[in-house]
Amino acid sequence: MNIDEFMQELSASKGVSNISKIRENVVKLDLSREDSQDFFIGIKSDFEHCSLISAIDNQPDFELVYHFSCIDNSIVVEDSDFAVMLEVHVYLKRESPSIDSISNIWFGANWHEREAFDLMGIYFIGHPDLRRVLLPEGFAGHPLRKDYVYEIHEEEW
Amino acid sequence: MAEMWISMGPQHPMTHGLWTLKVKVDGETIVDADPELGYLHRSVEKMGERRKYFMNTTLTDRLCYASATTWTHCYTHSVEELMNVEVPVRAQYIRTIMLELQRLASHLMWAGAYMPDLGHITGALYFWRDRELFLNLLELPSGSRLLYNYVRIGGVKRDLPVGFEGKTERILKLFEQRLDEYADLFENSKIFRMRTDDVGKFTADQAKNLGITGPNLRGCGTKFDLRKHDTYEIYEEIDWDISTREAGPGYSDCFSRYMVRIDEMKESVRIIRDCFKKMPAGPTMASDVPVRAQGEAFRRTEDSRGEAMMYVVGDGSDRPYRWKIKSPMFTTISACPHYLKGYKLADVPAIMGSIDICIGETDK
Repeated sequence: MNIDEFMQELSASKGVSNISKIRENVVKLDLSREDSQDFFIGIKSDFEHCSLISAIDNQPDFELVYHFSCIDNSIVVEDSDFAVMLEVHVYLKRESPSIDSISNIWFGANWHEREAFDLMGIYFIGHPDLRRVLLPEGFAGHPLRKDYVYEIHEEEW
Repeated sequence: MAEMWISMGPQHPMTHGLWTLKVKVDGETIVDADPELGYLHRSVEKMGERRKYFMNTTLTDRLCYASATTWTHCYTHSVEELMNVEVPVRAQYIRTIMLELQRLASHLMWAGAYMPDLGHITGALYFWRDRELFLNLLELPSGSRLLYNYVRIGGVKRDLPVGFEGKTERILKLFEQRLDEYADLFENSKIFRMRTDDVGKFTADQAKNLGITGPNLRGCGTKFDLRKHDTYEIYEEIDWDISTREAGPGYSDCFSRYMVRIDEMKESVRIIRDCFKKMPAGPTMASDVPVRAQGEAFRRTEDSRGEAMMYVVGDGSDRPYRWKIKSPMFTTISACPHYLKGYKLADVPAIMGSIDICIGETDK
């Protein structure tokens, strides 16, 4: 499939808006939180690798950025070897920073979700093992949030 | 026999850095595993948010002591994409040479660390003897031996020193002879083959789903290399091939991952030679590099260990608003219960060593 045909196909999906091509091989789109699970199951056959999940604290709301890459060349850019990537933005409310987990679809997303939970405090519903991964158990707060007060340890000492 | 958990690490010769691998064994056979990270967490992402864009190159060097240039390059490349900086052609060639020298040093470091894992201390001495040659080369333009800070936003710190090409060519010639030596010492060694053949197998489809990239994925026969498939710098103008393993004996096991890295070193030698042939004269730094940036950008590069990626968000100030590092080893380690299951406890160092762990980048 050509990347332009793929973008056409995406625009019919539910919950998808603002589809654009940010580089010749990268497609970017916004996705609503409610339709995320169905959308991700649908693209799994083309994008077999979950590259990265980044959580951003946009003050006040959160943003999740998913990057998926196509390794088997099921989607191609014409006249080049480029591997196609998909960048998905999902916006979450600060009061309820939660979204359905995708680690049952891509196992590679498992620890990315754990890291987003650990450092940013995003809850992934249905995740098999949502524990802290980099910080010790019992650590208070989520340090990559912009309102995290990191001097708290100095006061305790 | 009753199942029990055994804790390997954080102080264990297998770990190559500080991390814990808990393995559940039934007798000698592994039935489950649980890797634990975080012993080396330095919150690089949070630190980066408080530093200016150009200051962060010192932090990215420290992500992986064995492969500092590739990480700094991944960062500068992403920031250049964010700032729309055009890098001069000569600087791109110099970067490619430095990246490949770094890849050679990193793979030799890995091979040297892998041999003692298999009880082959002599191997470490052979590989680290040759890594020294490449550290000497990397020292010439950058002035340091481990953390170079040579690749900067907009180009490189300075041009290559006089006589660098001749010195490199001499060392590459010597290194090619050494590669034959390795073939005799390791590939044809029965003991090395007994420890690595048919150990730690996973298929290409599994690897893609588990998030395994780089030489470990190419060892399963997948022809995927970001230097070709998401090309950057001048890799598309250079004559080189992706090294993979064909299906057959020595396929998608520890030995195939060893062979892929040996083949990659041969390709790196080709790339460096070709770069020197095609390198033009000119400036090595872009004339105006902005200090502020707005928007978001990401680039991914082929690190020595797999797919490295940085996602940078700027809010118009001179510091990154958010900066996310994708470490290839982070996902590869997370998948270890899948490829350890069913093997013996004594195979753990052989399997975990073969995927080339670097805890610095993993723990960030």
